[in-house]
Amino acid sequence: MATSPSSKPPAIRIEGLTKDFALTLRGLKLRAVDNLDLTVKENQVFGLLGPNGSGKSTTIKVILGLLEPTFGSCEIFGIPSNNVRSRMDVGYLPEAPYFYRYLNGEELVRFYGRICQVPKDRLEDRVAEVLEWVGLKDAARRRVGTYSKGMLQRVGLAQALVHDPRLILLDEPTAGVDPVGSAEISELILKLKDAGKTILLCSHLLAQVEGICDEIAILNRGRLVLEGDLKSLVSERHRNAVMVENLPAGLEKELGAWLEAKGARLVGIETPRTTLDRIFLEHIGYRKEQGSSRQVDENIARSDAGKPEAS
Amino acid sequence: MKTIRFSPERVSIIARNTLLEAVRQKLFSFLVLISLGMILSSTFFRDFNFGSGELKFITDFGFGAITFFGSILAIVATAQLFFSEIENRTALTILAKPVFRSEFIFGKFFGVFLVLLFFCAIMAVSLAGVLYWREGELTREIPDAFADGRLVAYGDIFIFVFLQWLKFGILAAITMVIASFSNTNLYSVVMSFFILIICHLQYLARDAWEALGVLPVKLAVGLLGLIFPNFQLFNLGDQIALGERLPGELALRVALYGLVYILVFNAVAIYSFRKREI
Repeated sequence: MATSPSSKPPAIRIEGLTKDFALTLRGLKLRAVDNLDLTVKENQVFGLLGPNGSGKSTTIKVILGLLEPTFGSCEIFGIPSNNVRSRMDVGYLPEAPYFYRYLNGEELVRFYGRICQVPKDRLEDRVAEVLEWVGLKDAARRRVGTYSKGMLQRVGLAQALVHDPRLILLDEPTAGVDPVGSAEISELILKLKDAGKTILLCSHLLAQVEGICDEIAILNRGRLVLEGDLKSLVSERHRNAVMVENLPAGLEKELGAWLEAKGARLVGIETPRTTLDRIFLEHIGYRKEQGSSRQVDENIARSDAGKPEAS
Repeated sequence: MKTIRFSPERVSIIARNTLLEAVRQKLFSFLVLISLGMILSSTFFRDFNFGSGELKFITDFGFGAITFFGSILAIVATAQLFFSEIENRTALTILAKPVFRSEFIFGKFFGVFLVLLFFCAIMAVSLAGVLYWREGELTREIPDAFADGRLVAYGDIFIFVFLQWLKFGILAAITMVIASFSNTNLYSVVMSFFILIICHLQYLARDAWEALGVLPVKLAVGLLGLIFPNFQLFNLGDQIALGERLPGELALRVALYGLVYILVFNAVAIYSFRKREI
């Protein structure tokens, strides 16, 4: 696994990872991850997919040094993941996060910031910054115990980002979050990528994964069954789609015959479809270019408050 | 390349958070209130003091309340605060940060140790207050009995409570060792109470077996005596209650004994926790 001095190590390099859990004292074991090889390059959004029990969370825990591999190795930016130093560059949002209910959002993020030794002169600004990023600026002084599920995910994201890590592991970041929140988190992930971060994303929302991931890996029963560039995997190379506006009725046959004469085959003609997500977001006033619907609503409320009342 | 070392600051952050969590739990308030209630009400039981002097009775009663409820607090709070982190998976987010497992264990331990310090301080001040008030009343009622000044050695009361704090610290560290490998809160609590009893009674077993004079048995008992601290050494309350002064050297030796066990048990807890799967 030697790397030349000039080549930067990947964000994550997993080689031959196997993880067994003892089920009984007699030595019966469950193999959660089986001989997994995986490389996540820097500055990409990588989707780790698979059904429940496929070994995704176990893999993440090994990456975080919370579990020791039975066999194999795992490195983060070239540092073995069982070394605490490797976690200086890692932010982690667990699935269904639970935090100290008696702290408010700001105190909680500050707590994690101090744990990560964010310099004291930067800490307050950093806490405010990440809370604003995740859209919790106005709820920052509210106790975490009063947060909704979506807000817990957001504050979880804030604590994962507070120390400005290079690698961010997100385990089901949109579980329990409404479509608006989900779209906002997707946007945030893309912004993080633009800022040079590497994101490893575990999600069951395949539409979301498809929208933001550069590469994916699919695990099943602990084994890697598919890995690769997402665009290549989802595109059907031997087929092309032609979008036509105002196609006159009855022209389909003529078009089909013409294509056949050219050695191609018309597979079908159908009306392009939008997604339910998009319809939902459009109808509740979510505008990507203006930020979230919540922010839009707040802006409207603020501008209304500033207007003189009609006499 | 960035380096990372053991950080007392991270330990103190985790400890303060543990303290905050403990204070917010009802158990701490409940035990403080019930212990305070016992100490304050001890003056009402003076008719049932079995012939002992009233001030001695109040002292005994107060020491008993501190020892009993302090032991419960040391075990239950340690197990509860440790398992709340594991079960609520907050340990996951902390240990996923650049935090050594030793920092986590020390942080949890010192958090509980601070809780116990608050408990002991409240109890000691309350007991001393009740004794001072009652001694003042008795001085006015029977001045001849207090011709040489006040009888109660208040400094010794605080030394006694300080030693109890160290004893509770050992108990908390023992509970931490058990919690570091066990899967349930209940198991940790039950095992810790079991060990508490062993630590209180081990001197009886040692005396009995040593009297037999068989070398292997003596060695085995000696080893067990080393593994389980002798909590009888901390029972200096009788001397204070009987009006004697506590020898400073003895108190210092017992304090050192307590500190060594606290360190050793914490080291064992760290060793046991270092490979635990979270």
